[in-house]
Amino acid sequence: EENVGDDDSYSEYGKKDISEHACRYCGVANPACVVRCNVPSCRKWFCNSRGNTSGSHIVNHLVRAKHKEVCLHKDSPLGETILECYNCGCRNVFLLGFISAKTESVVVLLCREPCLSVNALKDMNWDLSQWCPLIDDRCFLQWLVKVPSEQEQLRARQISAQQINKVEELWKTNPDATLEDLEKPGVDDEPQPVAVKYEDAYQYQNVFAPLIKLEADYDKMMKESQSKDNLTVRWDIGLNKKRIAYFVFPKEDNELRLVPGDELRLRYSGDAVHPAWQSVGHVIKLTAQEEVALELRASQGFPVDVNHGFSVDFVWKSTSFDRMQGAMKTFAVDETSVSGYIYHHLLGHEVEVQMVRNTLPRRFGAPGLPDLNASQIFAVKSVLQKPVSLIQGPPGTGKTVTSAAIVYHMAKQGQGQVLVCAPSNVAVDQLAEKISATGLKVVRLSAKSREAVSSPVEHLTLHYQVRHLDTSEKSELHKLQQLKDEQGELSSSDEKKYKALKRATEREISQSADVICCTCVGAGDPRLTNFRFRQVLIDESTQSTEPECLIPLVLGAKQVVLVGDHCQLGPVIMCKKAARAGLAQSLFERLVLLGVKPIRLQVQYRMHPALSEFPSNSFYEGTLQNGVTINERQSPGIDFPWPVPNRPMFFYVQMGQEEISASGTSYLNRTEASNVEKIVTTFLRSGVVPSQIGVITPYEGQRAYIVNYMSRNGALRQQLYKEIEVASVDSFQGREKDYIILSCVRSNEHQGIGFLNDPRRLNVALTRARYGIVILGNPKVLSKQQLWNGLLTHYKEHECLVEGPLNNLKQSMVQFQKPKKIYN
Amino acid sequence: DEEVHFRQRVIEVDPLEEAEFEKELKALMQESLDSRKLELRARPTINMVIPMNIFEGPTKDHHGRGGFEVESGDEMLDEEPGGSKEVRVKVLVKRGSKQQTKQMYIPRDCSLVQSTKQKEAAELEE
Ligand SMILES: [Zn+2]
Ligand SMILES: [Zn+2]
Ligand SMILES: [Zn+2]
Repeated sequence: EENVGDDDSYSEYGKKDISEHACRYCGVANPACVVRCNVPSCRKWFCNSRGNTSGSHIVNHLVRAKHKEVCLHKDSPLGETILECYNCGCRNVFLLGFISAKTESVVVLLCREPCLSVNALKDMNWDLSQWCPLIDDRCFLQWLVKVPSEQEQLRARQISAQQINKVEELWKTNPDATLEDLEKPGVDDEPQPVAVKYEDAYQYQNVFAPLIKLEADYDKMMKESQSKDNLTVRWDIGLNKKRIAYFVFPKEDNELRLVPGDELRLRYSGDAVHPAWQSVGHVIKLTAQEEVALELRASQGFPVDVNHGFSVDFVWKSTSFDRMQGAMKTFAVDETSVSGYIYHHLLGHEVEVQMVRNTLPRRFGAPGLPDLNASQIFAVKSVLQKPVSLIQGPPGTGKTVTSAAIVYHMAKQGQGQVLVCAPSNVAVDQLAEKISATGLKVVRLSAKSREAVSSPVEHLTLHYQVRHLDTSEKSELHKLQQLKDEQGELSSSDEKKYKALKRATEREISQSADVICCTCVGAGDPRLTNFRFRQVLIDESTQSTEPECLIPLVLGAKQVVLVGDHCQLGPVIMCKKAARAGLAQSLFERLVLLGVKPIRLQVQYRMHPALSEFPSNSFYEGTLQNGVTINERQSPGIDFPWPVPNRPMFFYVQMGQEEISASGTSYLNRTEASNVEKIVTTFLRSGVVPSQIGVITPYEGQRAYIVNYMSRNGALRQQLYKEIEVASVDSFQGREKDYIILSCVRSNEHQGIGFLNDPRRLNVALTRARYGIVILGNPKVLSKQQLWNGLLTHYKEHECLVEGPLNNLKQSMVQFQKPKKIYN
Repeated sequence: DEEVHFRQRVIEVDPLEEAEFEKELKALMQESLDSRKLELRARPTINMVIPMNIFEGPTKDHHGRGGFEVESGDEMLDEEPGGSKEVRVKVLVKRGSKQQTKQMYIPRDCSLVQSTKQKEAAELEE
């Protein structure tokens, strides 16, 4: 049986039309039990029950808010009455009390000061000896304002004293805030952290929804603050006849990286000759010269004879976050979103191990793919038999090929279309290409905003297939398409017809595919709304957040394969608060915590065996085997001064000081940068070509400085240096280069080593090179960190820790510091 | 009828919270008192004569009685069977310059009632 959410109280409370006079703490709305705070700016209702606190709700409010006047409900025994002294009209409830007439059953409210102490009263008909205060034992007189019944109190919200204090605090700045706003993490509150197990999908949603909201808010705030002014624009026209504006979008260290598909608004404020103008467009390309190519949506009115003085804003879209929220909701409310087994498994419930009853293929490889090794075959075989499996693919172990083989066999099982996803477009493209090579019919579904972005698998994309479907029935669509291309737009009736035809064709093509490939967020595309996928494979799943991973799963998953490597970088979470609460932990990692053992691919085909040794020992318990030999990784004719022949690696000791970069937000190290140039030049002189070299540095300041420095001071042709990729660790994840130069930058004794103290980032940095690696850094600083200390010791033991000029490298005798414990 | 069972409520109040709340409440009381003592030097004139017609008891016909009217608070509420637990009292309030009474039930063991009853008893003895 599927779980029914046990959080009824919460949803009920949301659904109910909350009466205006309901207690703002607990929701009790019995007119006999509530009073209204009479402070004009407040006017909130509270009941006279104590709940779990020492004073009744109304008294709690009055004390916390320092409010002193109240009014009874119109349906209460006394009717709508402001409580006040009968004699002087004082309304301070902390001073009021009842007295009774000496002989008659008449009572009256009287203030303690001064009325009660006035002598004149003593001679009258009133008994002053029994002044009965309105507030007694931290509660209003129960015969004046009734205490809600036990039953009423149990059905009410159970509010704690802490919550009361918090909401009172909130009301000081936002009088309309509700208790739900308390659950929303505020400015100072830490959100509820992620758990390993969840009671049900509602609880799951309650934890993740606020985290996604936090990340979305942060993302929006950051991106929308990215306006750049005074840009110089170069105009062009694309093949599709659309206007393209080229400009340089200055980068900063704030992790905002434009990617193709991002939407920007280009503005011109106007001048004597030109009116003010603006248009939105999509980034279709980022050139090697760091120029952004923006394909504009407008069809006319471009100030093409102007080049200077443009501004650009980021147009933030909530789509990806909306889809994550949507997937969590579907997971909770739609019983058919995933199979019962997967539902309970993902939530961490005890479920009996289930095997998938499928006939296994005789061989586990697939046509068009390289032969599989033993650990890859084992992975394919076990995955096909299990409803949920994890494959860990360390660097260079062929996880794309393995994934493609799995998808091939799944598709052959005849359970319907297979959905293949990854968080990044690059990874989806790579996988789509490999799967297509097996002969399966693949449709690569791209976001509409990326249709103009060039892709290595363009022929597999849905929009391409729609345009190039060569049947006579489609001639109408083609005609309209041609017309649209030529004129830029269609008449409204033609546009309607065009859209309908296009949708039908898209659907037809998608339905006839064996495999649909898209990003995780892309799986929430409306074009897949009515599709069901029993089998889902997610590559690079360790780089996506859980809610992101959920998007492809809630389309009916019965068999799930998560591929990734939790020893490499995880998802990038920009909001620190959300990251701290655990949003950066992937579903893959949580399943590992729940005891699912990942199947590890064990043979690496990328690195020279000397380069894989340290990563294997430090990150993979020494299990990585080398599928390449030393000979296969020796580049003939390349004469580079490696200190130890057959060990194409060294740590180049740098003592230069780091500085704050010009932008003031990043770090640079000039000595290191000049040595990077010398190493690059030596590589180029020895016959290595620029595309074989990658320079990794964690700081944008250093990256910009190196690019600049090399092209100005490089000993060889400028163009050669411009073709060398200089980037952050993160942008190299999932890729490889023949030679890697890693510039660590930070030499500051006091401030730690910044970006590189994440072991997973170090793992990625160290495992990109196939033929050789050079690391530049200050061992005195780096050795304080345990993992770096190990790396330095490893290099030192192999006589690869060196200093001095490049043509005369000497072993360094620099002393290491004692490592501190890591707290990762 | 559906029978609904509730587990016994055990209210556990954090003693620290309770102490802190009590302190705040006392402070507010004291502050209220002090402010009155300082501000209201001039003693108010007393205007607390019990209107004579109040003794006529509650009535729905409260028109044409000058500045005084009697309103019944809750007509549906009958006196407790046996009249043992609660007694009906008239609450005297002012609405603007008008005097009003509203009826209300208060527990018989309330000190307000007690004093009246004792007085009545004492008077009877005399
Ligand atoms: Zn108030
Ligand atoms: Zn309440
Ligand atoms: Zn008074």
